[in-house]
Amino acid sequence: MTESLLRIDGLGVDFHTDDGVVHAVTDVSLAVEAGEIVAIVGESGSGKTVTAMSVLRLLPKAAEVSADAIAFRGTDLRTLSGAELRKIRGGPVGMIFQDPMTALNPVMTIGAQVAEAVVLHQVRPDKKAAWQRAIELLRLVGVPDPGERVKQYPHEFSGGMRQRAMIAMAIANDPDLIIADEPTTALDVTIQAQVLALLKKAQAETGAATILITHDLGIVAELADRVVVMYAGRVVESAGVTELFATPRHPYTKGLLASLPRMDVDVDQLDPIPGNPPNMADPPAGCAFHPRCPLARDRCRTDRPPLLAIGAGRTSACHFNEELA
Amino acid sequence: MTSLLKVEGLHKHFPIRRGVLRRQVGEIRAVDGVDLELETGETLSLVGESGCGKSTTGRLLVRLLEPTAGKILFEGADLATLSQRELRAKRQAIQIMFQDPYASLSPRMTVQEIVAEPLRVQGRYADDGGADRVRELLELVGLRPEHSRRYAHEFSGGQRQRIGLARALALNPRLLVLDEPVSALDVSVQAQVINQLRGLQDRLGLAYVFISHNLSVVRHISHRVAVMYLGSIVEVGTRADIFTAPTHPYTQALLSAIPVPDPVGRAERDRITLAGDVPSPSNPPTGCRFRTRCWKAQDVCAQEAPPLIDRIGVGHPSACHFPEVPATVGGA
Repeated sequence: MTESLLRIDGLGVDFHTDDGVVHAVTDVSLAVEAGEIVAIVGESGSGKTVTAMSVLRLLPKAAEVSADAIAFRGTDLRTLSGAELRKIRGGPVGMIFQDPMTALNPVMTIGAQVAEAVVLHQVRPDKKAAWQRAIELLRLVGVPDPGERVKQYPHEFSGGMRQRAMIAMAIANDPDLIIADEPTTALDVTIQAQVLALLKKAQAETGAATILITHDLGIVAELADRVVVMYAGRVVESAGVTELFATPRHPYTKGLLASLPRMDVDVDQLDPIPGNPPNMADPPAGCAFHPRCPLARDRCRTDRPPLLAIGAGRTSACHFNEELA
Repeated sequence: MTSLLKVEGLHKHFPIRRGVLRRQVGEIRAVDGVDLELETGETLSLVGESGCGKSTTGRLLVRLLEPTAGKILFEGADLATLSQRELRAKRQAIQIMFQDPYASLSPRMTVQEIVAEPLRVQGRYADDGGADRVRELLELVGLRPEHSRRYAHEFSGGQRQRIGLARALALNPRLLVLDEPVSALDVSVQAQVINQLRGLQDRLGLAYVFISHNLSVVRHISHRVAVMYLGSIVEVGTRADIFTAPTHPYTQALLSAIPVPDPVGRAERDRITLAGDVPSPSNPPTGCRFRTRCWKAQDVCAQEAPPLIDRIGVGHPSACHFPEVPATVGGA
């Protein structure tokens, strides 16, 4: 078997807080193959962002990361020095963050920031060429009049344009993997549509695999090849995108899809998931979803269901996998 | 018959001031000529992207902002010309619920104090039953009355929105302005609050002005919908009008931009992708404000602002020189 582009095995992330240890992510395993788009979905606090940030060691110091492996193209990223890891960041692995206003440096021009992304990965730095490349990249991501706009600062860009500049930086060095954390959450729908179209285009042109972190099931359905659903810091279900939407197996995934108001279906009453997402400082025992689950029985309150294969390329963590098939 | 709420020619212009003398150098036309009508028990949604003036309109309706021009008739009385005392009485009938469940509740007050505050302000606390009334309100929105001694930070986002709702309902309003009430909530909790809002409307006969950018939610909750762009309404109609027969190109683009949570057939889906950004409301385009992003724009669009009328006899108005019912729209 060939090695996956990215393989995460048994990832755990703990945060030490005043209220005790918070297990933000527990036992998450994930493989991303070359060229595919894997969506990680979940609600706030589900651990989706923490999982993705741990790949490039972008978590704050308070985070304690443990894993059996975090391997990119066969190299275990945990063994790399800071300098070696910086070659990976923005090089073969590009990042797109949720809020382009805080992710961009307010006192550097857009051009300088995009050019910096280029120069940092050149063997023999050539600033002039990098500036030209920045203009070319901005043109590629649809920034109008890029020759002039490179000289502007982030505050002179609209939200959508800033996100385009971020995408330009992420694809500057022809990455193999792009990690996009809620790339359109801060944007209006018509701008979101532009950025999603651009992400699709960038992905098609660079052939980069993408990890797409989002809470929006619409975006997942539009873009993803495969979906990983997280709840309370663990993976509860994973499947190909068509299978997941057609036949969700985990009660949480089912509940999530049923609770969505739809543009194409009229319903009188929405079918919400009762209760609230768990408090991660004090998660429920057994299956973390049991307080909200319509199927919960005694067993669910004490035994945590393991994540098991339930068919080709599908997993689900529920005691009643068979009954739900 | 008079409508519950009738808004005519509503304007709100914010001055832009510069320099030491704070001289006015321009203005932002946040709301620029809005007409609305709302009946008892009805939900009218205001939709549009950031900066379109939907929230400003909502704030004008409850007089959190003073309009630059225009009339707001509530049950036939113009709120702008009422005396302070009359306004105070009318205000009880119009309440607002805010978007941010964290910023809109005081961290120093208990739930009991938060929900009782409108009653105290209006001097009705004891007459309305005091603590009993608060308990009743908490039950009405699905919160446990035992929790009334807790502080807002002890509750989740969804529960906080319910506290905000209980507060808004305290004075038995007839009209509730809901400003993005579920936008800050997780999807699984959103549906709970939406169902609650619908249930309360049926039980209490409330009218809602529902402000949202989330068109799937709007489609679910509205009777009528007004689409706003740069301070004006570009199309208004019943839910069916807007979602199945939109005639304004902006409405069509907005509907087509929503990601559909169904991967089947995604490659074949026809998307209208608008070019560019919303122009600045301090310097809006001449004529039709949407023309800079519109694929249908002609010379006339730059010269004449299209009035909000039903040009092609589809039964609802839209502000476009070239309205057209599309063959198919979105998933509708």
